[in-house]
Amino acid sequence: MKVRVDFKRCEKAGECYYNHPRAFKRNENGYPIVAVHDVSDEDLLLEVREAIEVCPTQAISLTD
Amino acid sequence: MPVAEEQISEMLRNQVDPREFDAPEFQQNPFPLYQRLRDHHPLYHDRFHNRWVVTRYWDVDAVFQSSEAYTRGIYEEDGPYEFGSRHVFGPNILEYGVGDRHRWLRNVIAGQFVGQKLQDFLPVIDMIALELIERIQVGKEVELVSQFSSQFPIRVISNMLGLPRSDEDRFVGWYQALIAGLGFGGVHLARGIAARNEMWEYLDPLIAERAEQPGEDLLSRIISAELDGQRMSVEEIKGFVALLLAAGGDTTDKAISNMWYHMMYTRPDQFDAVRQDPELWSNVFTEMMRFDPVVHTQMRRATKEIPMYDQVIPKGAHVLIYLGAGNRDERVFKSPDVFDIHRDDLHMGRENRSGRYKDGKPGHLGFGMGQHFCMGYAMARQEAVIACSHLSTALRNPRPKFAEHAGITSPSIDSGGFRSPTELWIQFDA
Repeated sequence: MKVRVDFKRCEKAGECYYNHPRAFKRNENGYPIVAVHDVSDEDLLLEVREAIEVCPTQAISLTD
Repeated sequence: MPVAEEQISEMLRNQVDPREFDAPEFQQNPFPLYQRLRDHHPLYHDRFHNRWVVTRYWDVDAVFQSSEAYTRGIYEEDGPYEFGSRHVFGPNILEYGVGDRHRWLRNVIAGQFVGQKLQDFLPVIDMIALELIERIQVGKEVELVSQFSSQFPIRVISNMLGLPRSDEDRFVGWYQALIAGLGFGGVHLARGIAARNEMWEYLDPLIAERAEQPGEDLLSRIISAELDGQRMSVEEIKGFVALLLAAGGDTTDKAISNMWYHMMYTRPDQFDAVRQDPELWSNVFTEMMRFDPVVHTQMRRATKEIPMYDQVIPKGAHVLIYLGAGNRDERVFKSPDVFDIHRDDLHMGRENRSGRYKDGKPGHLGFGMGQHFCMGYAMARQEAVIACSHLSTALRNPRPKFAEHAGITSPSIDSGGFRSPTELWIQFDA
């Protein structure tokens, strides 16, 4: 599964990289960096799904 | 020699006596001491209470953001301390502080208070606000704290948990005892624990029922959540419920009272605009969270030696963060002691965990920041703004009953208590 962040929607809320540091990192401007682009690991997949749930601007997506 | 004496008299004028933190004057009005700390002791070593005190906006921000240098954890996860044994709520997220268990417990519910889940819940928030307002409208005056604020968020959260609506009044009673048990110890703690035990007994059959037949509610979600194939213990589930009732109730409750207090007494001249355009309650919320937020302090421990200004915070030392002081930093906000809902130097919209906004403006520090940013930030704002809008629309010509008010006096800041007026009488036309 591929993880994508839509930077037009992203408001740098930080929910993804603070709550799920294995899946996302913070860059120096407060934007997230996708740590693992192609996720197959079940635990990591769960973390990405939770990050999608807590993102206040629905900027994260997961596609096949 | 005269120069040295001048320096000493200057130092004397600006010195801080650590016992000032315990004085009733400070609890009533902490802002003059905050200012002296910011201007003359930006990193203050309080030898009396054995802690280091931080008060400037960007220092508060830095401590919140550097979770590798400062920890919230108190006990070791695998140490001898039995989590919950000395806490009025029982074992809960706040007590775990840091670590995997903390993160897991947090993530079980974090998604429930934001985004679509929150949007879906707005009709219930509306309904509960309108029900309470209907009760108020039969009279010509209201004591807002007891008749509205202290009841509204607790009814909302018990609804989210899926607790029977017919028992809401009991929850309000338990909740009030739990809150009193948080900050003051002694007889309050004893009453708080008695109320908690009563509530726990009430919850037992409900938890067993939902474990068998989980529903869509938050309690079922907490019961069913698994980490490495393991569910939470019954004590942890109950601790979670107690925490949600208190953290989800008390802070929002006091935010609503504070917002009305500021509109009635601090800036009645700005209240007309708010009544005409209820969306401005959102600005009232933001400015209240800056000017005098419900929570003024947080505590951390240094995980290593930290050089700051011309001192070094030793490893393991307690660091007291005064976010209430950072919010009044004149290095960041113009005329910081003026309450102004039209401020152009404060980010007015929804808050961020990162504290960095696209409009380039600084945000208030009232929810904390970084790793331990308030989990209920979006819901608290929604609840407070919805409740206040409905109130100001439904009550005709609301105005203070008394010309004088004792101000935001309750309870003391350092007791772990939250700031708000103890009562707030408002008159309106029938």
